[in-house]
Amino acid sequence: MPIKMMAASRKRPGLTRAEYFRYIELYHGTIAREEPSKIVTYIQNHVIDGAFGVLADRTHQQVAERDCVVELAFESFRDMIMALDNPGGVPSKAAQDGKFFADEPNNIVLMAEEEEVPVPTPMPKFNPGLGFVQGVGGVKVLQYLMRDDEVFREDYYKHWHEAHAAAVETVPAMKAQLRRCILNRRCRLSDNDFEARRHFGMVNMPVYDAVSAYWFDTMEQVGAFRDYNEVLQAYPKRFADWSRSFFLYTRPIAIIRDRPGYGPVA
Amino acid sequence: MTELIPELKSQTNARDTLLASHQKALRPPLTPEEQKRPFAKYYRDPYPYDPAKLAKMDTPCDPSKAIYPEQINDLLNPGTLDIEIGWCNLPNGAGFIASQNQYPGVTAEMIDWWFVWHTLEDLRYRIWYPPAHAGLVISPETRKRFLDPSVPFREKNWGQTHHVTEDCECGQDNIDITFLSPKDFGFDMARFKQPFVSTFAGGFGWACPVEKKEDSLTVPALMCHIFRDIPGGIEHRTRFWMGYRMSNGKPELTLPPGIQVPVPAVQGLARHNVKEFANLGKMLPEIHADMKGQLVV
Repeated sequence: MPIKMMAASRKRPGLTRAEYFRYIELYHGTIAREEPSKIVTYIQNHVIDGAFGVLADRTHQQVAERDCVVELAFESFRDMIMALDNPGGVPSKAAQDGKFFADEPNNIVLMAEEEEVPVPTPMPKFNPGLGFVQGVGGVKVLQYLMRDDEVFREDYYKHWHEAHAAAVETVPAMKAQLRRCILNRRCRLSDNDFEARRHFGMVNMPVYDAVSAYWFDTMEQVGAFRDYNEVLQAYPKRFADWSRSFFLYTRPIAIIRDRPGYGPVA
Repeated sequence: MTELIPELKSQTNARDTLLASHQKALRPPLTPEEQKRPFAKYYRDPYPYDPAKLAKMDTPCDPSKAIYPEQINDLLNPGTLDIEIGWCNLPNGAGFIASQNQYPGVTAEMIDWWFVWHTLEDLRYRIWYPPAHAGLVISPETRKRFLDPSVPFREKNWGQTHHVTEDCECGQDNIDITFLSPKDFGFDMARFKQPFVSTFAGGFGWACPVEKKEDSLTVPALMCHIFRDIPGGIEHRTRFWMGYRMSNGKPELTLPPGIQVPVPAVQGLARHNVKEFANLGKMLPEIHADMKGQLVV
């Protein structure tokens, strides 16, 4: 999967969560599915719970509410541009629909590339009753990791890998229950998103160089992530600004996942 | 007190590096500390370039004779390719640059040494081409790798990033250049051997203006410097593909349909390349001997 667009959004003012989820999945999702495009997978990660910053923070340092993270994957950057920008043409129906459910000026958008991080206990092929679909997981945790601005991007990724390996090793439940892990690395092409920012009226959108994703069989297992996160934050080499980082427990919903060669992954 | 050696003292953090690039871009005079460095004498007017070679960069070459990044293994063929010196926009909008130099007295070992040595302090990068080179910083982890004697010179740069500030005739840019092994760059390793190649330095870069504005673009390019032995020296062949990035180990064009890399950017880099390597090619045997092929001096 060469490149994907990830957008963490929150519901627009005046909507309840139930209304928002119903709209984004059933109405918006249907528009996106029916509209011809080069999207190869489209996953909505509906937020169940999450935490922003750390306990030591007196108050939140940025918008501390996210209701959904959408992931749109494409085979190439050109396909992505054609699908999202539709240069010289009318914006897609799905693109025009966003304003009806999302607080667009506060979206956090990035283009990312996936790096599969091996886990000690991947999901067995036969796993009835557990997991969202075979080979994936029932709960997906998404962690937006704000890079410490004193740390070079390449060192930040290196330190995350080291910290992650140490934390998985340290937390037995994580070692046993983490089914899949992906590091979504921000692509530098995201630097050129000024037109999108202008279009959606985004102001000071925070820039995240990585979003890590963790899959678990059931909601009961996310406690393992909580313990893992404690160890990650205590890692002696600095790499993240934890006050501006956040994690979300989500329920992945596949809108498009049946293109040849692209399923089942959520 | 190894902490005090200049090769370690020059380390800055990412935030300060970015902030300092504005000042560096002005290419201020050397500081008293820099003037005391044993290589400060190389901060001088560069050796002259070959005017005939530069003249070949006056107008674009025939795009039908250029090669695409998917064809890099053609550089391992004996002889030369149709375009060895020139630049153009490819039909897909990408910028293509080719350059060729012969360096008497230079060896592959010196090239491998140079591509590590010059990263350790701003001044080392500035002497490469003083009129346009403003500074270079590497991360603490990269520095650790470079100074680790157990990593061979040829491999030190693989997977490592140089944070460069330079002017390729379109204003000072901050460029992050990530070097790759020849295998990761796409070379056929069964063919990657003498006499077709003696060493290689290349990878991908992302460039944006030092004086970045809201609508400034961050643009990718692929960079290939490949060297082969010739009697009494080494031959250097450069290729750039502007508008391409590496995606999952393969080149990918990132330009939207109908968009091309601006001509001044392609021509500017082509001209800059002729000038900077004219200086380096002549300077390298001298400075390599002066520094005794060491990193810490």
